[in-house]
Amino acid sequence: MNDYQKRKRSQIITLSILLLLSVLFGVLSLFVGRYPKAGFTAPSLFFHDSIAQTILINIRLPRIVLALAAGAMLASSGFTFQLLFANPLVEPGFLGVSQGAAFGAAAVIVFTNATSLAVQISAMVFGLLGLLFSYLLAKRFRFGGALLRLVLAGIAVSALFSSALGVIKLVAEPTKDLQDITFWMMGGLWNASWRSIIPTLVVITVALIILYLNRFTLNLLSINEKTSFSLGLNPKRQRMILLFVATVGTTFTISVTGLIGWVGLITPHIARKTFGSEATFSLPASMIMGSFFLLLCDSLGRTVLPTEIPIGLLTSFFGAIIFVVILSSKSQEGKA
Amino acid sequence: MNILTIEDLSYTYPSGIQALTSISLAIEKGSSVAILGSNGAGKSTLLDLLLGFKASEAISIYGKRLSEYGRKELGKLIALVPQAEHFSFAYTLLDYTLFGRAPYLSPMSSPTSEDALIAYEALAKVGLSGFEHRMITALSGGEQQLLLLARAIAQESELLLLDEPTSSLDPANRRNILTLLQQLHSEGKTLIFTTHDANFAYELASDIVLLKNGSLIDYGAKDKVVKSELLTTLYDTQLTVTEINGQTIIY
Repeated sequence: MNDYQKRKRSQIITLSILLLLSVLFGVLSLFVGRYPKAGFTAPSLFFHDSIAQTILINIRLPRIVLALAAGAMLASSGFTFQLLFANPLVEPGFLGVSQGAAFGAAAVIVFTNATSLAVQISAMVFGLLGLLFSYLLAKRFRFGGALLRLVLAGIAVSALFSSALGVIKLVAEPTKDLQDITFWMMGGLWNASWRSIIPTLVVITVALIILYLNRFTLNLLSINEKTSFSLGLNPKRQRMILLFVATVGTTFTISVTGLIGWVGLITPHIARKTFGSEATFSLPASMIMGSFFLLLCDSLGRTVLPTEIPIGLLTSFFGAIIFVVILSSKSQEGKA
Repeated sequence: MNILTIEDLSYTYPSGIQALTSISLAIEKGSSVAILGSNGAGKSTLLDLLLGFKASEAISIYGKRLSEYGRKELGKLIALVPQAEHFSFAYTLLDYTLFGRAPYLSPMSSPTSEDALIAYEALAKVGLSGFEHRMITALSGGEQQLLLLARAIAQESELLLLDEPTSSLDPANRRNILTLLQQLHSEGKTLIFTTHDANFAYELASDIVLLKNGSLIDYGAKDKVVKSELLTTLYDTQLTVTEINGQTIIY
């Protein structure tokens, strides 16, 4: 067995352990909550208490599944964006997607008697519109290379959606609508039910499979475009396809969860530090770490205080701390 | 046998600037061809066209137009060594060298142990054995150039396109790259490279292309083409070709 095979094998083992830990944590999280009292729900209750059964299967389980799926999606989207833009500081909300989705959600909350499904659909549609506007605008720009133009267009589109969102917040009814908008923008998984998450789960699963299968190609798209072309790729087309997949996955995710930041920035960093920059292992590692991180934040958010803490606040809090620690660590010198 | 033929190749940028005008060349398999010319002569554009990165119907490999080849098929025939590489992530030397195996991988798969063996050999060939797990971000300029070459070697293509392979190297590294490329040439690889270093071109090339303002001034065996008058015309500055102790020097 050569050195390469040994490294590969040890990475597969580490990845399997991580996956197992995440699943175990998911199972543990199923029994943590406020029934019958704050703390731990005894597993034995599941067999003879119908309320416990309902809570575990119809309330906690879809929420845990959503946390795992959303974490994997946000992390792998961040990872994908970073490789496609050859920039380790990029994340999914980059191309007008997040601000577009926020605008879409706020508009429905304020101007209609919205159901949460309508808010989700609107967030998703406007998130995708954010991407479309950024793409069309980038084509009109006459400054910089293709990637820089896309980034600049994303900044412009985000700013436009952001100002429109400001206007909506200004006219929103302060005791109800403004609170709803604020909560949506802080992110949360409390609305998760099997019915509401199934379409999103399907999209996330498809997106994750596509990104996973293209993990080696993602490496090649992070280097000089002419080099990747010479290696048999069609870089422009493949970059656009993977960008679209990552964005659609993200949009579907945040349409259900609200805005959740930092997962797409932090977990790829930790995955690369643990498994190396090559995406064959660091992409799946990023997915698992994203799942774990989001589930951890959600579990804390629904248990540590009598009222629920929005998940976006916790991901930002822990994300910022981890970010500072990573960038300050000596081993980070010269790495990305 | 000709590996590459160019018939009446012209190229105009979308901005309207004419980069190349009516270039016709036939490059023999196993030859080593230097493309000389001043800045803006069209050297890089020609290289992009030979790679297929810029589309043209005027270029054929083994009599078949570039556009008729599949992307991966072409990747097995032509490898590129760019002037510099953009490293945003800390890949290891082995990771980066393995990228050269991309044309041989089935869609959506990753390199195998056999690919890794080829990558190890390529790194050994350029003298980077033992550094396989070092980060590419920690390499010096000379080592980076060696790594770019190792990746192209791992690609196992017949034709190597090199864009100014020694432009940022000190004399020792320049010598190192020259020796390696001479070795690859002697092993039967076809080399096409651009350079501003006429002495390097003379040492490595069997044939030389002279480009000026997008037009072909001359093409042929190096001893026929490397003449003081021709080089002076090419660069618009006085250049002299002389022989010292049996070695041709251009200054």
